[in-house]
Amino acid sequence: MEAKVFITGIGLITPLGWRAETIWQNLRSGVSGVRRIRLFDPSALPTQFAGEVPDFDPKEFVDRKDRKALKVMSRPIQLAVCATNLALQDAGIDPARLDATRFGVVYGAGLIASELEELGPAARLCTNGQPYFVDMEKWGRDGLAAMPPLWMLKYLPNMLACHVSILHNAQGPNNSITQGDVSSLLALGEAWQILRRGLADVMLTGGGDSRLNPLSMARLCLFAPVSRRNHAPEEACRPFDRDRDGLVPGEGAAIFVLESETHARQRGAKVYGEIVGFASGFDPQRTGEVLAEVIGQALRQAGVGPEAIDHINAHGYSTRQDDIWESAGLVRVFGRHNPHAPVFAAKSYWGNLGAAASVAELAISLLAFQHGLLPPTRNYREPDPDCPIHVLAGRWREPRTDYCLKVAIGERGHCAAAVIRRFS
Amino acid sequence: MRRRVVITGMGAVTPLGHSVAELYRRQVEGQSGVARITHFDARTFPTQIAAEVRDFDLRQFLGSDAARFEHAGANCRYALAAAQQALEDAGLLGGGVNRRRFGIYLGTGEGQQDFFAFISLIGRCFNPETQTVDTRQFTELALRELHAGREREQEPHTTVAHLAEYFDLRGPNYNCLTACAASSQAIGEAVELVRRGEADIMLSGGSHSMIHPFGVTGFNLLTALSTRNDEPTKASRPFDALRDGFVLGEGAGMVVLEELEHARRRKAHIYAEVTGYGLSADAFRITDSHPEGRGAIACMADAIRDAGLRPQDIGYINAHGTSTQVNDRVETLAIKKVFGESAYRVPISSSKSMLGHLIAAAGVVELITCVMALRHGVLPPTINYEYPDPECDLDYIPNVAREQRVEHVLSNSFGFGGQNVSLVVSRFRD
Repeated sequence: MEAKVFITGIGLITPLGWRAETIWQNLRSGVSGVRRIRLFDPSALPTQFAGEVPDFDPKEFVDRKDRKALKVMSRPIQLAVCATNLALQDAGIDPARLDATRFGVVYGAGLIASELEELGPAARLCTNGQPYFVDMEKWGRDGLAAMPPLWMLKYLPNMLACHVSILHNAQGPNNSITQGDVSSLLALGEAWQILRRGLADVMLTGGGDSRLNPLSMARLCLFAPVSRRNHAPEEACRPFDRDRDGLVPGEGAAIFVLESETHARQRGAKVYGEIVGFASGFDPQRTGEVLAEVIGQALRQAGVGPEAIDHINAHGYSTRQDDIWESAGLVRVFGRHNPHAPVFAAKSYWGNLGAAASVAELAISLLAFQHGLLPPTRNYREPDPDCPIHVLAGRWREPRTDYCLKVAIGERGHCAAAVIRRFS
Repeated sequence: MRRRVVITGMGAVTPLGHSVAELYRRQVEGQSGVARITHFDARTFPTQIAAEVRDFDLRQFLGSDAARFEHAGANCRYALAAAQQALEDAGLLGGGVNRRRFGIYLGTGEGQQDFFAFISLIGRCFNPETQTVDTRQFTELALRELHAGREREQEPHTTVAHLAEYFDLRGPNYNCLTACAASSQAIGEAVELVRRGEADIMLSGGSHSMIHPFGVTGFNLLTALSTRNDEPTKASRPFDALRDGFVLGEGAGMVVLEELEHARRRKAHIYAEVTGYGLSADAFRITDSHPEGRGAIACMADAIRDAGLRPQDIGYINAHGTSTQVNDRVETLAIKKVFGESAYRVPISSSKSMLGHLIAAAGVVELITCVMALRHGVLPPTINYEYPDPECDLDYIPNVAREQRVEHVLSNSFGFGGQNVSLVVSRFRD
């Protein structure tokens, strides 16, 4: 008999704020977290808005003794470290009182862009104003000396989980999943399995990511289908809506505390929900065939059918093709058995939080169960006949069953699904 | 009774050859793959040497399909070639198996950033007086000068996507990046996926190349690399008293992990069984491993326990053995702690003495080496072992391979930042 696994803490840093109450209040008032970029001058970019975390100051979130470490953390690491502290506080856990070897971390992380200023002096020394030219002789001799010694460590994707393990003495299983926008859901699935096979009592999982820097934004504008709705950023992310025109980059971190049932009960923990099913796969032609099988597998593991699902917490990229793909997968599963299952897409409020996206989005379902109210999907006005699903829009809705399905997809064909049960 | 997981196919692209047979043969011969860097002009870098993959042509493995991967970086190209070998070896290139129960879990590195495009951009947009970058100018030029196709390929999940798509793998799909432990961790977690029944077959392993200007710059800044530029083949000298840092390598390794009954039904050739997996975190510092090897001890002990064995059952250890002062001393300490008196009897060697450090791909290539040692009864040496270090006083199979039949072997991988993974492979027995 495998251990039950509970979600007992939530830590969020999002474009809609960082206290669960603040985020909930912002959702209630229909605020959007997507705005014109303020962190740098975006005026030369075709897309000048994003889901930016406003006024993020990591020093507010960490103990005085740990502040020095913030200097060797890039923004995604800082976001994850700070969200972790919020999650532990929310769970009421003092890590010093845990069995360190049975306390682990599995996080999702993205590609972290180097801060331009750090490379500035070296680049200036070794270039001559011509594109693609770097004087390598100079770089080796003088360029290196002009760079911070710990430069590389600031950008390694495993450093989110490393810093967290160091700050909280988590000596148990530690992994970093780098699988694009599916990362944090895969991390959650893996952490769940680690707890089920009895290797840990408490696992931190989730992810942190940021595209809010000139390099990442320029790269995305080059190769990704990014929305160009500069005149109305708050309406740009409109998953499954007929007039959607692309994804909206974002940033943030979302961390869950997962705990074995025994450990949670012993300390009388507050429980948000139970993870009851998880699966992943790859849908090579992006027809929805494999996505449907992945969802089916997660449901079977949970021991429920599609009719038991209260709502679907969708990936909802807001791109032309991906939304069609995701809808096709959902229709295959729910079409006959629960055709009116409401679909909620959190990206409509804050854009794509990348490697942190899935867990941040799932947090809204947990809050919805807690408050007894599920928010509508923002910006959904005109149904798209190519996305024949039932998107919840325009009104809040009371949950009717105890199960929610979380779906995550990656633009290349990666997909994952998790089933969560409300705790009662 | 838990499901047993066996290895039914292997493939490798390394500085010592582009096949498993050549990789193993040249290690047994004690050859070094280290030479002066040719991938870029490193003449003035503190470190000018590395173990590069030479004469690699993806077309030799994929034929005309190689053209589909025009913009793919080294990570992806090496991975494709190694995967092709492993799947061919396992007899899995055709159909005949349930694709939904055939997944992939890799530990591949991030793509290489386009150094010349990126640095030349910053050079023009940086104002030395204010120490700031004109981001408007930067983005404007970046949109013009960065190559969309190559930029897209840098995302860390593209290698897995290419492999899953090309080989039609529809099962569980993961990529992890825990620095130098990544491909070992991928294999460990892939084994768990098969054990618990989520898949019958997993393609696993990893690929990485950091022999590019950013990689060498980054590691040089950390003073982690050997600077023995005058004697490249002697630079990687794990456990030797005069070791002065690790040597970067590159490449890929892939293994096919298969549930035993599934492998039997299709009469697959069984190389060995993966019997143990242990993982831990040092939780100490981002720059240093724990001085007493706390995490290394935990993961070795857990892997051996997971295999249902005692330390004295282990016949060979393929060490992480990076050739840095700290790693080799601490790893030795940790082996002594786990193995007690038998630490002095178990032969240990470091493939990195010959291959350099393949970073994310190191673990899988070393595991493949272990499987070959198990099958052929010849343990590869640690080369360049000349001057004993009193703090490293175990049997490191110095310089010459050793004929010795072993039943169970242990492979260690410790990641920068403190993730530790150990795997145990055993001779297959019914």
